[in-house]
Amino acid sequence: MSRLFVVGISWRTAPVAIRERLAFREDEIEGALDTLRGGAEVAEAMLISTCNRVEVYGVARDEPHAAIGEVRDRLVQSRGLDDREVSDALYHHAGDQAVRHVFRVASALDSLVLGEAQILGQLKGAYGVATHKGASGPLLGRCLERAFGVAKRVRTETTIARGAANVSSVAVELAARVFGDLTGRTVLVVGAGKMSTLAARHLRRAGVEEILVTNRSPERAERLADEIDGVARPWDRLEELLATADVVISSTGAREPILTRPLLKRVAKARRWRSMMIVDIAVPRDAEPAVGDLDGVYLFDIDDLEKVVAQNLADRARAAEDASRIVEVEATHFEQWMHGQRVVPTIRAMREHFTAIAEAEAQKTIDALHHKPMTPEQRDDAVRRLAQLVVNKLLHRPQTVLRESGAGDADRLVESAVRLFDLDPSAFQPEAVKVDRIDKANAEALAATAEAGDATTAPVATAPPAPIVAEAGKRGS
Amino acid sequence: MAGMSMMLDEAVAAAPAEIARVLSVPPSPAFWAAVLLYGAAATGFLISFLAGKPAAGRAARALFLLAFVCHGVDIGWRGVLRVHPGASVREALGFLAWVAAGGYLATTVRYRADLGGIVAAPLTVAVLAAARLSPPGQAQAGLTSLGRVHIVMAVVGVALFAVATVIAIVYVLEDRSLKGKKFDALTFKRGGAPLDGLDALSHRLVLAGFPIFTVAVVLGMVWVSQRGSTMERPEYPFALVSWGAFGAMLVTRVLYGWRGRRSAWLTLIGFAAAVTVLVIYFLRRSFGG
Repeated sequence: MSRLFVVGISWRTAPVAIRERLAFREDEIEGALDTLRGGAEVAEAMLISTCNRVEVYGVARDEPHAAIGEVRDRLVQSRGLDDREVSDALYHHAGDQAVRHVFRVASALDSLVLGEAQILGQLKGAYGVATHKGASGPLLGRCLERAFGVAKRVRTETTIARGAANVSSVAVELAARVFGDLTGRTVLVVGAGKMSTLAARHLRRAGVEEILVTNRSPERAERLADEIDGVARPWDRLEELLATADVVISSTGAREPILTRPLLKRVAKARRWRSMMIVDIAVPRDAEPAVGDLDGVYLFDIDDLEKVVAQNLADRARAAEDASRIVEVEATHFEQWMHGQRVVPTIRAMREHFTAIAEAEAQKTIDALHHKPMTPEQRDDAVRRLAQLVVNKLLHRPQTVLRESGAGDADRLVESAVRLFDLDPSAFQPEAVKVDRIDKANAEALAATAEAGDATTAPVATAPPAPIVAEAGKRGS
Repeated sequence: MAGMSMMLDEAVAAAPAEIARVLSVPPSPAFWAAVLLYGAAATGFLISFLAGKPAAGRAARALFLLAFVCHGVDIGWRGVLRVHPGASVREALGFLAWVAAGGYLATTVRYRADLGGIVAAPLTVAVLAAARLSPPGQAQAGLTSLGRVHIVMAVVGVALFAVATVIAIVYVLEDRSLKGKKFDALTFKRGGAPLDGLDALSHRLVLAGFPIFTVAVVLGMVWVSQRGSTMERPEYPFALVSWGAFGAMLVTRVLYGWRGRRSAWLTLIGFAAAVTVLVIYFLRRSFGG
């Protein structure tokens, strides 16, 4: 198992009441990293704290579960919490699962709003802090860099980040459908609901130049205009204002429709039928539905916006399946890479070691062949002896280890030997089981053959895995 | 347009040998490559639109560009063999498809218009196939310089109208899904270009095509009268309807600010009339009459 691990809580496991108690302010992160790495078990660490999650990604010095325990304790203590309060909410992953988790978080597959864009930036920020602090090392760094790559792939290759996910953004998206670029457009806010403030802000961010505000109460119009950097206009000039506005956001408390069809027909004519979008978020509605039939007038009410949000979220959920497949493939690649990181040096060392032995023995034989005149038969013998010598030398250490292995270790070692040297497992089966199953005569016959066999070859050639090795060990001692 | 039909059945000056030569020049391999590539692009646009695969859309645009280049090579190659784009209905149709394809490509620089591609690419294939696979029919003869200018101008004008029409179709579909609040309709989901942009672009194309088309119509009438032939052909009223619809679209926009849906419908009417004219030519050339 790789040494990567994750410890944390998120919106999935804990309500905000718990998340907020574990959260870290930006200026607390560096100190927290010191605390987390102060123990004996953690080699690398980074900490991300957002409104939806508090997570530590790290690399253990040795065993990930030991590091997980340590990080958990330190995390809880540093916030002055009782472990019982958060133990249900805290989750952890190690090794491959940790890699998958990091990839999923970066790709916003673990986010409350699937595919949202913020988490990637937050993750990059947190990683930046950890790198700056020297808390992140090669393995964590590699994992995070890869996670950013995966997130990019997911965003470009799937539709998970497509379609606005809240009502205000949907209003902006719909406006873009009609007008394209919103720069230089005029927005008119009629009434002063909270939603219209939000929508106006979104439109402003999308490039809208002028925001006009009108309300029955001039004071409230002024106040809202200040709030969203707009201009208050008198209510009695509504028709004139409508004629200048490309986007109208309406949310008055009126009981009867304000934006009637006759009014809007006059407005549309005055606008020379230039496109106009009305977002009616008032309940009861401010605009008569028939207004939407006018050429060039696009009318949406709150239900329409909600419908688009719901649909976009459903689309994102579908895209999440594609995204998960990408994460799965990438995680597997990363695991292979991590695996390679551990295995490649071993392979190299093994090869060097074996080559050195073979070289040394070969040299001895060559020297002997050069110095002594030999008959062809003697030569053949020398070559055979050389082969035997090399085998003996190579097998010396494995044999010793197998013989000396304890009961728990033996299973694992025998299994490794079978896999490494491609031995036939059917050639040796657990003797204990056999004795139980077969009759005594057969057992004796089996014991006889085992005794008759060469002590050095018996374990690998004819012996069942665990018991025989234990027995071979006894015999050898 | 009016004169264009006359050329098909009234030989005036050219030697029969030259006519036979023009009709016998086979298409170059580039032509067939273009047909295949246009077809592949059509498939790509369809996949991009229906399945929402942006990669398919990108591939389709690349294929369309490649097809356009091959098509241009074929026209150039025929030019080298002295087959003028206005030499016969067959050549004129091919040239029309080429100019229209170029116009569509130009719009994709600004807007992602895969929906437009679904209309444009198969239409191009259909026009090319119809022009090439139909029987050659009667030979075009008596092509004066006036006739050539008339044909080429008519072709360029109609090609611009064709692109404007494709865009108008996209406008009508997108407008309909937005007004009808069909948020799960593909025209809404995959609609790339904003309505105002489509409207402005379509208007500009008609604005550019209209004077060219007008000159072509006038030249056609002059040519017909030069030859002293009758003005009573079934396609002439359609040519006038076409001219009138496009003219009305431009005038109502200036006078009453008509745009969007109304302009789009006038564009569609104008183009339908122009296509009717072409179909009449085409049938007469192919099957006599």
